[in-house]
Amino acid sequence: MRKLKIEIKKLSKNFEKRFVLKDLDLNIYESESLSIIGESGSGKSVLARCITGLTEFEKGKILTDDSKDVMRMSSKSLNEHISKFGILFQNSALLDSLSVEENLKFTDKNINLSEILNEINLTKKILKKFPSEISVGDQKRVGLARAILKEPEILILDEPTTGLDPLISNQINILIKNIVEKKKITAVTITHDMTSVNEYGEKVAFLRSGKIEWYGDAKKIYDTKNKNLKNFIDGAL
Amino acid sequence: MKFNLLVFQKVFRKIGSYVFNFFYDIGDVFFFFLLFIKNLLTDKFYPRLFFNQIVKIGFNSLPVVGLTAIFTGMVLALQSYTGFSRFSAESAIPNVVVLSITRELAPVLAGLMVAGRAGAAIAAEIGTMKVTEQIDALKTLSTNPFSYLVTPRVIAGIISLPFLVLIGDIIGVLGGYLICVNLLNFNPSVYLQNTYNFVEFIDIFSGLVKAAVFGFIITFIGCYFGFNTKGGAQGVGQSTTYSVVSSSILILLMNYIITSLFFKL
Ligand SMILES: Nc1ncnc2c1ncn2[C@@H]1O[C@H](COP(=O)(O)OP(=O)(O)OP(=O)(O)O)[C@@H](O)[C@H]1O
Ligand SMILES: [Mg+2]
Repeated sequence: MRKLKIEIKKLSKNFEKRFVLKDLDLNIYESESLSIIGESGSGKSVLARCITGLTEFEKGKILTDDSKDVMRMSSKSLNEHISKFGILFQNSALLDSLSVEENLKFTDKNINLSEILNEINLTKKILKKFPSEISVGDQKRVGLARAILKEPEILILDEPTTGLDPLISNQINILIKNIVEKKKITAVTITHDMTSVNEYGEKVAFLRSGKIEWYGDAKKIYDTKNKNLKNFIDGAL
Repeated sequence: MKFNLLVFQKVFRKIGSYVFNFFYDIGDVFFFFLLFIKNLLTDKFYPRLFFNQIVKIGFNSLPVVGLTAIFTGMVLALQSYTGFSRFSAESAIPNVVVLSITRELAPVLAGLMVAGRAGAAIAAEIGTMKVTEQIDALKTLSTNPFSYLVTPRVIAGIISLPFLVLIGDIIGVLGGYLICVNLLNFNPSVYLQNTYNFVEFIDIFSGLVKAAVFGFIITFIGCYFGFNTKGGAQGVGQSTTYSVVSSSILILLMNYIITSLFFKL
């Protein structure tokens, strides 16, 4: 009944000679919300970039639900693969030459924005502004809206709350929770914010030394015997 | 003895790696060029972005190209007067001015100015988009970054440079005219008549061909370095510098090559 969406087998990724990911295995299931946690620099963003096909990797396989390997795709199917994802990038990556409105209407000019603005708690006033003129929190909201608007098969959120004050973090967490639960979308959230995990994580993968060191139900994470994970949670709280 | 061998080995390795990198880079640029052609022929064209770039690369460069041209024309007139008056050949000044401007100075100087202005801006803008993952974002939005960013810029460069140079030609000749008429007491209508009778189609045409090639070099190199930017702000700065330096050198090199091609005709 859990349908496999992405299957990662023995994934290795180096930068120059230093490895970031090493023989990493991970499954992502359809309509499940997976949180990937791990220390800063552990390779969470790199992992997300490999999954989406934005970064090449040396070894291993990333298989999609039609059992194609991301590394061996033609450039056409790779582009199709990439466009299955809605990504909130770590620093939002809004197109800074376009206004917020143009950013949100990028793929569909005729879309009605009032509903989505409501969902992300922003008013119409923001539409005419440029990304550099709005706060980081608002950039994240707009980035989130852009990712959702294209109705992706898989939503990837790279640290949606990092760098925001607790109040706004909380708002954004609730927002994402609503979206993830309402749309029953496959969602991968990268975070070191344990409240994000608590709010809407169903499964958790703990990334350390290039591998998934712990994987399991989000609810069971606090009962873990894994020392590194324990330390991480204690540090994060 | 052993020590010497080690030094040799090091030196050869170093040279080898430079040679390797050189050919690697050439291959990389060539691959980028193939991608450009492929996307130009097969992918979407964005007319609005193209017109934006015409404004940015062409129209907005008018003041600097105009200023360069007028001063160059003025200097040319003064300098050739210094030379020609020594053997009473002042009447050849209009000819020298129009020939140098149309064949050489307008295209090369406009090329170098636009490389510093628009080429640098292209490398910086695309480089920033690269390091802030905006280019990746484009991909997830089912948009080919190549067709969205490179094609409009390069085509706009190829088209706007000849126009800039044509205007530069006129302004440059005007610069020479101003000096000769106001300072050196030439007869205005004789000056213009001289210029008009002397200049040939090939003079202007070869300059415009150069301009189109330079327009391609500037925008293409700017896009190439932009797309290959790594790291953060520092990487963007580096790409900008590389792009201006390499396109300037390529402009001078191609200028020689095109000149010698037209020379044979
Ligand atoms: N383009 C790159 N070139 C070289 N090294 C890189 C590159 N991208 C990432 N790295 C390295 O890979 C490692 C993992 O980076 P990554 O951005 O995935 O970390 P992260 O887990 O997302 O951290 P954070 O929580 O701070 O975002 C880091 O040590 C980083 O230095
Ligand atoms: Mg990261």
